[in-house]
Amino acid sequence: MSFEQIIVSGNVESVEETELSLLETLDHVLNRGLVIAGEITISVADIDLIFLGLNVMLSSVETAQEVLRQREKKAE
Amino acid sequence: MKQYVYCLTERMNDLPSWRGVAGSSVYALEVDKFSVFASDFFGEHVRIDRENVLAHAAVIQQVLNHTTPLPFKFGTLVTEQQLDNYVSATREALQSKLALVRGCVEMNVKIISSREPARATASGNEHETPGTAFLFEKRREIRGEEERAAEAIEIAAWLEAQLGDIVWETQINPNRLDTLLVAVAHLVRREAVEEYRARLKEARHERPELHFLISGPWAPYSFANIDLEFKTHFGVS
Repeated sequence: MSFEQIIVSGNVESVEETELSLLETLDHVLNRGLVIAGEITISVADIDLIFLGLNVMLSSVETAQEVLRQREKKAE
Repeated sequence: MKQYVYCLTERMNDLPSWRGVAGSSVYALEVDKFSVFASDFFGEHVRIDRENVLAHAAVIQQVLNHTTPLPFKFGTLVTEQQLDNYVSATREALQSKLALVRGCVEMNVKIISSREPARATASGNEHETPGTAFLFEKRREIRGEEERAAEAIEIAAWLEAQLGDIVWETQINPNRLDTLLVAVAHLVRREAVEEYRARLKEARHERPELHFLISGPWAPYSFANIDLEFKTHFGVS
């Protein structure tokens, strides 16, 4: 599968891009979409992405900022 | 057994077979005037893990390659009867949403400020009691939130002006986090996606103090929700 473009003020390297793709995907599929009242049954035990289920947006921003910091370091 | 549902579209035919959540085959159910993409699910809960999240998104993305669907939220399990009831209760709203998103995709922009957030400082009054200090702190917090909300609205308006008529519909979500100013979802016609990217690229140069996280094209996740109206003997509530 491919998510066509994830750009943080320019190009990002492939590993970072993959991570951002996942975070953006989580942000979309967990937070948005049609809801049939009372029919969402999810479990979040024993997984590595649990923090994302709790606050995907926060994680997205932290990752984006980390990418930006790394870019700035490289530019220096 | 229940059905795990991915998305809803206008009636579609002749689609390839896909794998969905938990490796199940995805099929299209004909419900009323719509096709609902679903797979069989044995169990009570859908685990949030990388495989399931990506499988859910992949099915929707593949449907998006054919037509613009209304995605269901991750983890939606229903019986056929519940699905029938839902569709018949919301038929008009679903049709109207499908008409809105037809031929479009969603593009997202998250705008992050590169400025350090303002930190609270002491009032300087040495006689300040803990209660007064708390109220000062609260006032600073509220002012900070108001300033961020105003900045978010200003940036969203500026962004819309830059993008012009290629944006069909906009959803703005001002954010309370210190550095993420605003998350904007744009509904853009498929043929205008390249133009959208080009205009955003140009616009970024005007605001070097901001960082832009741009993603898409997505199915219209941010434009899928329907506000239900419950008709009663006393009117609509």
